[in-house]
Amino acid sequence: MRFLEFAALAVRNLRGYALRSFLTTLGVVFGIASVVTMMALGRGAEDEILREIDKLGITNVIINSVKPPEDTSANATRSWTVKYGLTFADFDQIEETVRGLRHALPVHSYVERAWEGSKREDVLVQGVTPSYFTATKIVVARGRGLTVADEEARRPVAVVHQQLIRALGYYGDPLGYDLRVGEQIYEVVGILEDEEFQGFIRKALSSPDRRDNEIYVPYATVLTRIGTKSTSRKSGAYESTDIELNQIVVEVADQVNVAPVARMLRTLLENLHESKDYELVVPLELLEQRRRYQAVFNIALLLIAGISLLVGGIGIANIMLATVTERTREIGVRRAIGAKRKHIMSQFLIETVMLSAAGGILGVAVGYAGTLAMEWYTGWQAQFTPDVALWALAVACGVGILSGVFPAWRASKLDPIQALRYE
Amino acid sequence: MSDAGGPLLDARNLHRWYGEGEARVEVLRGIDLSVEQGEYAAIVGASGSGKSTLLSILGCLDRPGEGTYRLAGHDVLSLRDDKLSELRLREIGFVFQSFQLIPQLSILENTEVPLFYAGVRRGDRHAKAMASLERVGLGHRVKHRPTELSGGEQQRAAIARALVHDPPLLLADEPTGNLDSETGRTILQLIDDLHDEGRTVLVITHDQTVADHAPRRIRIMDGTIESDRRREVVT
Repeated sequence: MRFLEFAALAVRNLRGYALRSFLTTLGVVFGIASVVTMMALGRGAEDEILREIDKLGITNVIINSVKPPEDTSANATRSWTVKYGLTFADFDQIEETVRGLRHALPVHSYVERAWEGSKREDVLVQGVTPSYFTATKIVVARGRGLTVADEEARRPVAVVHQQLIRALGYYGDPLGYDLRVGEQIYEVVGILEDEEFQGFIRKALSSPDRRDNEIYVPYATVLTRIGTKSTSRKSGAYESTDIELNQIVVEVADQVNVAPVARMLRTLLENLHESKDYELVVPLELLEQRRRYQAVFNIALLLIAGISLLVGGIGIANIMLATVTERTREIGVRRAIGAKRKHIMSQFLIETVMLSAAGGILGVAVGYAGTLAMEWYTGWQAQFTPDVALWALAVACGVGILSGVFPAWRASKLDPIQALRYE
Repeated sequence: MSDAGGPLLDARNLHRWYGEGEARVEVLRGIDLSVEQGEYAAIVGASGSGKSTLLSILGCLDRPGEGTYRLAGHDVLSLRDDKLSELRLREIGFVFQSFQLIPQLSILENTEVPLFYAGVRRGDRHAKAMASLERVGLGHRVKHRPTELSGGEQQRAAIARALVHDPPLLLADEPTGNLDSETGRTILQLIDDLHDEGRTVLVITHDQTVADHAPRRIRIMDGTIESDRRREVVT
């Protein structure tokens, strides 16, 4: 009850010096606001990356075929067809020797042109097994995914993005559409959910020469109809490649085994391949790496926050010292009238804390507005959480106490007689 | 608490000096002073006579270097700072030359200040402060800031503040010093009335006309009491 009385007195006094009070809090306002904004943006970015890593499948290990650095030595034999990457033998080895797998999924893909009349679109044809969809969390929005029956019958069916069909100039229902890809015709049986992967996730999931459009067809169909050799045109020149498997997605049964399995796969592939014509992407490792980055980022953020709040706190302490000097006579009167030292101390301390708490509240509001503005301006996803706001307020109060103690102590130590005569 | 029948204020052999050794300046050199309950006394003296120092000691704001001082039965010199604050709060109403109202507070809020430290609840504070302001004839200007009032009105407000907690002793330091003579007279009249209501009043002044209002006049010179006279009846 006495505290509330003192708080009311503090509000009364601060209102008496409204402009000064407002200006005094600005340091804390901007300190808190910048922290709140940065936290929101940082968390937003973290969330987005975690979501994307999660999309890759936290229990997966993805092995991609990559073109090795070209052998430029003089006696290197240059064959017309470049052969590299993962092989069927690799796949069999993995399935047979690596323990703790739920399954290993082979992917063979090739680049070709889809066409309709005079419209042409480059597509990446991904020959995949039915489990590929669940393992990599690809969602079929309409129609169906690929089935074991498709696989066994080597059916020419495809699951595609709707945009591809639109780009080819067909505006009817894509389901049942006969999609012409090179010399092949695939019947569209499923439409993929629109999903935009960004940054390194896109790179991790797809082969290096991936185009914007991808279609999924049965693995067996591709191997039977196309084989492993493919020809594509790159910067005007034809390039023929022979890649048995473009990708192997290994799904580990238990998350704790992801790291050991990844190690085994590395060793295995090192033994099987002379050159480094493959890469391993381990989402779990990416996640852990990301967490380490985040920790560093958080420490930097705390430092910036600490510095800006220190500056704000010094500003408040400075103004409060000036205020104590200016209000010396008031302090003298209050002491003469019967205020104890602790009353004076409480009065100034509570005034300071209220100032900085008000600055904290204002700072959270400004920070929230700043977050929205940044989101709108940059298109980033921010994550504004109440716990950050609460922390910011607690810190603001702490700053108030720290910066108020000395001025309040000075005020309480004033000699009432001197204070009364102060001009 | 207060000794029944004893003097309200009793000082013996008060000494006060500033500085040490060669630089030591004696300000009070053995003051004996006793004021009864309900008395009206004026302490007069030129500036530098030591009357301000005496006021500080009697007002429990300062301690003498030597001597004893009892106020309302309390041995003032033995009290700690907190207890002195309580004593000032309960026993003394201060009226200052320069009014000493708190500028950012309204007249009403200024008047409530002693009650605030006495721990009186908000509602009661309000009522008591209003009553006190009405007593000094300021019931109509309570929402104003001190600077919006004339000097006389400010001093009335200060007196209302001094009286609000109903202390036995009213201690006035040159209460008319910053006022023109006409306004000064009305303030002195107000103090006279308060004395007539039974309050103990101690006025400190260098102004003869102010001192003339008090039945008892104590003249200070060079840190000692030069004379202490009582008039029986004022005409």
